[in-house]
Amino acid sequence: METTSEKTDRAIVLSPSGRLDFSAAAPFQEAIEKTIAEAAGAKLAVILDCSGLDYLSSAGLRCFLIGARTAQAAGARLIVCSLQKAVSEVFDVSGFSRIMPPVADRAAAVAAL
Amino acid sequence: MQATLPGEEGRLPEVMAFLHGCWESIGLPEELLFPFELALEEVFMNVAMHGGTAAGPSTVWIDLEPAEDRLELGVSDDGPAFDPLAMATPDIDAPLEERPIGGLGIYLVREMMAGVSYERRDGRNALRMWKPL
Repeated sequence: METTSEKTDRAIVLSPSGRLDFSAAAPFQEAIEKTIAEAAGAKLAVILDCSGLDYLSSAGLRCFLIGARTAQAAGARLIVCSLQKAVSEVFDVSGFSRIMPPVADRAAAVAAL
Repeated sequence: MQATLPGEEGRLPEVMAFLHGCWESIGLPEELLFPFELALEEVFMNVAMHGGTAAGPSTVWIDLEPAEDRLELGVSDDGPAFDPLAMATPDIDAPLEERPIGGLGIYLVREMMAGVSYERRDGRNALRMWKPL
């Protein structure tokens, strides 16, 4: 899995791509926490653009959950967007769609800020 | 098709390679791959993280059998008796602050599969999971 980061004037966009499974969870969690700290310091939001993410297991969901809590504690907005079908199904089944409602695409994420 | 390997966390790529090999050689439907990948990762990692003893990791046996009307995945291990299906269902309606960090894996397996069964037999934990073909 690869994660790229991009800064815009209102948010830092973190884009994981590939498979977020148990093996990829620890480095991704580190990336997400680092990004939230940086965003909170700069009064920016965090957008998790999942358009390139094609696999997600419970180990990956744990990263999203910890990320959402870290963002809440730091006072930073965190928005998830562009879920592929399989990832979207995992979000729905696990109830994550309710605790961090995903939006359709990056434009919708920016509009929601 | 079958695979036998030690229940160690670092073996996950091998486990997935076995599953992908099954899909290629049997020619199974693409749309069934994701739920089976997810189920196998969750069950294997459960054994790898919690299933061994002080003496070392468990041995894990994996088999995938396409029948006429369904695809069935079996995962057995020789670790201490543990029925993952007896675990409490996590509260998936809980708000962010109250969501437990763990316990989601087996829940996902139950939701993504049509059926899951557990049996303790001949000193092994035997889980079977299936979906209609």
